[in-house]
Amino acid sequence: MDTTSQTNADATEEVFYGLVAEYDSPGALVHAAEQVRDAGYRKWDCHSPFPVHGIDPAMGIRPTILPILIFGAGITGTALAILMQWWMNAWEWQWVSSGKPYFSLPQQIPIAFEVTVLLSGFTAFFGMWALNKLPQAWHPLFKSDRFYKATTNGYFVSIEAADKKFDRAATEKLLRGAGATAIEEIRYTSSPELRKVPRPIMGFILLTSVLALVPFAFIAKWRNSHSPDPHFHIIPDMDFQAFRGPQTTSPVFADDRAARKPVAGTVARGELKDDDLFYRGLDNKQWSTRFPPQVEISEDTMERGRERFTIYCTPCHGEAAEGNGMVHQRALAVNAAATGWVQPSKLTDAGFVRQPHGQIFNTITNGIRTMPAYGPQIPEKDRWAIILYLRAIQRSRNASIDDVPEDKRPTLK
Amino acid sequence: MTTNDHVPANEKLYLGPLATRLKGMGMTAGVVCLGAAIVWGAMLGDDMRRFMHSYLLAFTYFLSFALGGLFFVLVQHLTSSTALVAVRRLAEILTAAFPVLFVLALGIVVPLWVGNKSLYLWSDPEAVHGDHILEAKAGYLNAPFFAIRMLIYFTIWMVLSRYFLKKSVEQDTSGDPALSAKMKKVSGPAMILFALSTAWAAFDLLMSLTPHWFSTIWGVYYFAGCAISVYCLLALISFALQKSGRLTRSITVEHYHDCGKMANAFTLFWAYIGFSQFMLIWAANIPEEAVFFRPRMFTEWKWISLALIIGHFCVPFVGMMSRHVKRNPPLLALWCIYMLGVHLFDLYWIVMPAFSPEKIVIHPIDLLCVAGVGGLFLFGAVSVAGNARLLAVRDPNLKTSLRFINQ
Repeated sequence: MDTTSQTNADATEEVFYGLVAEYDSPGALVHAAEQVRDAGYRKWDCHSPFPVHGIDPAMGIRPTILPILIFGAGITGTALAILMQWWMNAWEWQWVSSGKPYFSLPQQIPIAFEVTVLLSGFTAFFGMWALNKLPQAWHPLFKSDRFYKATTNGYFVSIEAADKKFDRAATEKLLRGAGATAIEEIRYTSSPELRKVPRPIMGFILLTSVLALVPFAFIAKWRNSHSPDPHFHIIPDMDFQAFRGPQTTSPVFADDRAARKPVAGTVARGELKDDDLFYRGLDNKQWSTRFPPQVEISEDTMERGRERFTIYCTPCHGEAAEGNGMVHQRALAVNAAATGWVQPSKLTDAGFVRQPHGQIFNTITNGIRTMPAYGPQIPEKDRWAIILYLRAIQRSRNASIDDVPEDKRPTLK
Repeated sequence: MTTNDHVPANEKLYLGPLATRLKGMGMTAGVVCLGAAIVWGAMLGDDMRRFMHSYLLAFTYFLSFALGGLFFVLVQHLTSSTALVAVRRLAEILTAAFPVLFVLALGIVVPLWVGNKSLYLWSDPEAVHGDHILEAKAGYLNAPFFAIRMLIYFTIWMVLSRYFLKKSVEQDTSGDPALSAKMKKVSGPAMILFALSTAWAAFDLLMSLTPHWFSTIWGVYYFAGCAISVYCLLALISFALQKSGRLTRSITVEHYHDCGKMANAFTLFWAYIGFSQFMLIWAANIPEEAVFFRPRMFTEWKWISLALIIGHFCVPFVGMMSRHVKRNPPLLALWCIYMLGVHLFDLYWIVMPAFSPEKIVIHPIDLLCVAGVGGLFLFGAVSVAGNARLLAVRDPNLKTSLRFINQ
């Protein structure tokens, strides 16, 4: 800190900054630094063209806290990246990618790694600048021509006059005693005029500040105006890819179809559906009256069936399978009689109770009359689960007192 | 040492009588432990399967020490590095174990050659027959070609290690700086040979345990273990030698600090490579690639996988990060012992699921094999290089290394 220049800010005055001493080798510099350190000075520094090994302990510099800051920034980066990905992918906008869970650590490690490195790197870089009080555009030592050797082959110790221990004669004696080859006083003129930022630099700052606003101005303009021009494409070959969509033609093949059939005589993995009972509900070419062995008759299957039934069947057939779902009620509300509306089947009727499991399976798979096929939407196992649940509904709707366990009967009214 | 005024005075530079004792200890441990392991393995009556897997584990573990040593020596010359010249001779002594490792490799090659199919699935003609992938790979994965490749790898390693040890010891007496220039010239092509041979050896010895599977980064994964090992070993051997009164002033806290830094960096490297290998396979999730990770993620082995992530990466990476740890030789030595332990654990995780894909199996034979192969490794290294100085006393860069300061 420059304490001597504060008396009258407007007046031009000469400031005595301190002494700078030159030494002829890195070894001599370290040696001198040790003596200045031991003499108890605080406001002083060493200057060399390259980092000198051992200068830190020689100057009595305490270990920097920078590593701890970097470690903290790194941990913050890891946590921030995981939190960000959890929020983006598992909370705010749930999105399945590659069939992985919404929140899945392996997927997040690369990003966590990158953010950790980014924050650590920034902290190391900018933290070093801040802790070194950089950037400094000018320094009183620049007044000395000799000092410019500090960037080539000069080794200097500078002691500020502002130091409490500073004494013009004693300090010079100390520096010379430590082997200085030259000693200089540093004086500079301080005036309000000199402390002003030079006009070209100020102009540059102003210009860049204004230019930095230009992109935002364009964004604001585009957001609030309409244009007849098409989008411009930064990466056109990604926007217009040479692939063929479904149901389109392709000049490559003789039949002009872009979608290809499987090669004759081959079956894709998992597509070999040779189990008649499980895939078609057939038992010895008859509608099966039993569930296939792949389907476990359990509480879990029942629960799965209830869930699938609620999703796929209730809109038409209703919660209790009585053919009065929301679609039916809506049809009545808009006067369906005029359009020939047929009410969905009441599945609790005796006819459906008697139907074999396999026949119902076939109906779900392929549809019947106005009911569309649900085979493409509902996997086989879920279709069987729906049948299981439907059987439970049918039984509950056609129940008698005999279905209630003996010990529970008294609770009924 | 009148001509080496930069080597501290009265420094003890030779193993001396300790060499004889180490050789004796190593040989005894090798013969007794390996003998016991073989007898025990034969008594299990499983066609030596247990023994062979334990033996492969121990063999690849100590092979990684010697390979790490060779890597260290090569990279020192290649980069004209100065900081760790003070410990380079120790790495050269590690590489002197290659001839013994070559003899030990016969323990894997000879049973294969005579038709024992207890170790590798691809060596079992019944398993290969009708298996499309194994039939297609049979041109590469067969006993004669396996033996030829092993011969090639060990020839490369023995020639290189012999060359660098010999030239370095020669410089101890002649002090000829031209030898350093020569070694630097050779180190470039040598590094390429080292990289290729190490990667392929890792494919052959370890990856082919899961013969349907492949991972191009596998060699780098094994190399990461080699690199961790050598920096930990250098710190640990330095510590032990200094305890015995040798090299007390040549090796300073700065050298420990540097070894610790490299070990810590390669710990991260190991995790980086291991994760890169895992993540691509996990993301693609196709059967022929997932076959390696399936047992390691969905059986009892998943606990070992989890323990590796925490114990081989998280704990040591944070634990060894501080410079105060690395500049405290006894504390660093403890961490190095720990790292060498988890490195063994890592190889265990690679080898043993091939023996028992569902259950974690730990057997005293594992430890007997590690002790036995370790003993012979020690015997081999000390027999070849035990008479040499422990410091490359007239290396042109030694002076800089001795004065080296981390800042």
